[in-house]
Amino acid sequence: MCLGIPGRVVEVHDTQGLPMGVVDFGGVRREVCLAYVADEIKPGDYAIVHVGFAIAKVDEAEARRTFDVLREMSRLDELEWMRDLAP
Amino acid sequence: MRYLSEYRDPKLARALMAEIKRSATRRWVLMEVCGGQTHTIVKQGLDELLGEAVEMVHGPGCPVCVTPLEQIDKALALAARPDVIFTSFGDMLRVPGSDCDLLQVRARGGAVRIVYSPLDALELARRHPDKEVVFFAVGFETTAPANAMAVWRARELGIKNFSVLVSHVTVPPAMTALLESPDNRVQGFLAAGHVCAVMGWTEYEPIAAKYKVPIVVTGFEPLDILEGMLLAVRQLEEGRHEVENQYVRSVRRDGNQPAQDLVSQVFELVDRNWRGIGPIRRSGLGVRAEFADFDAERRFAVDGIHTAEPTICRAGDVLRGVLKPFDCPAFGTMCTPEHPLGAPMVSSEGACAAYYNYGRFRSAV
Repeated sequence: MCLGIPGRVVEVHDTQGLPMGVVDFGGVRREVCLAYVADEIKPGDYAIVHVGFAIAKVDEAEARRTFDVLREMSRLDELEWMRDLAP
Repeated sequence: MRYLSEYRDPKLARALMAEIKRSATRRWVLMEVCGGQTHTIVKQGLDELLGEAVEMVHGPGCPVCVTPLEQIDKALALAARPDVIFTSFGDMLRVPGSDCDLLQVRARGGAVRIVYSPLDALELARRHPDKEVVFFAVGFETTAPANAMAVWRARELGIKNFSVLVSHVTVPPAMTALLESPDNRVQGFLAAGHVCAVMGWTEYEPIAAKYKVPIVVTGFEPLDILEGMLLAVRQLEEGRHEVENQYVRSVRRDGNQPAQDLVSQVFELVDRNWRGIGPIRRSGLGVRAEFADFDAERRFAVDGIHTAEPTICRAGDVLRGVLKPFDCPAFGTMCTPEHPLGAPMVSSEGACAAYYNYGRFRSAV
């Protein structure tokens, strides 16, 4: 129910005073209310969309940093396996 | 980056699981309070793969499941009225009320429509000025900003034939109620990332401190959940109990301020009954008096409906994490997704439906 899907904002516009936009979800495009992220979002940004509303902008730098940590962990893990398997 | 498929990488998942097993010197009991996370955990078998390090208890994280029977009965009464178009998210349609569900009301001629967004319901009201359009506003804090906006816009645009039947619930009071319960076994929580995207995590800080439980704000993909578990296990092993944020790409400490502002202008904290759990003080949202015209309960006077839960269904014990779904005597026999007795079997995010759909008929550990 709290399902939120990340999508790329492709267009920003105003509908009767309400900030709206078009968001692309891997090829499927939908009209989304941007009122809650209007101050920070621009075309090209990713947002988490829930029931037709963007509730958060996806922070690209933070996302990459998390991945760096995970990849490092995976690399170390593999090194350990290699050590374990070494005769 | 598409912020989706990358978080399902099996190689990284394996590394995280190995790290969780390495970190745990004993088996810790964690609870997720989000139906989406429950679904991912059971579907991927994360709990079974980590059974020696972590026991996952599935909390009351599905708004469909905790919507009290009497609100369902009110929905059924409204949907049956000839002057009403009743609108709802799809997952509410098969939730059993006292004697039928919304799908059956529709089969008998009631105008019941599924909408993706509450703004779609508002649009229906604009296009059908001769009808009363009622939207079933359920959900946690994640959904409240959307539902609040529909009410706000209805007033702004002068749409008078729109109203909401509200059954909104909030997560922190439910966590507190679980921790206060004498049979509580939960030692740490994964908090739902999208609830926190809206609300931030300041509300959880006093809970973590008072009950000495780690609370990790966690996302929804397998890697998010595994990392959330790892952070919680590390805290438990080190004797820490803090609020930590795994879902850094979408959640900030203060959450989404414009969303919180609109929610508090339209809604106010009220006492709410949780299906299977019972009443919890100030655990829900109701429509403020200034917006009473848009409150379906006030407009249609359905507030006289009071109903009791069926006794055979053990949904309450499942929602509190006391029982696993397969421990319920009705699970998989009298109660199936085709003929559900309780709401956790109805919603795809309910723990009972997840266990049934992924073949969990007994304990693997």
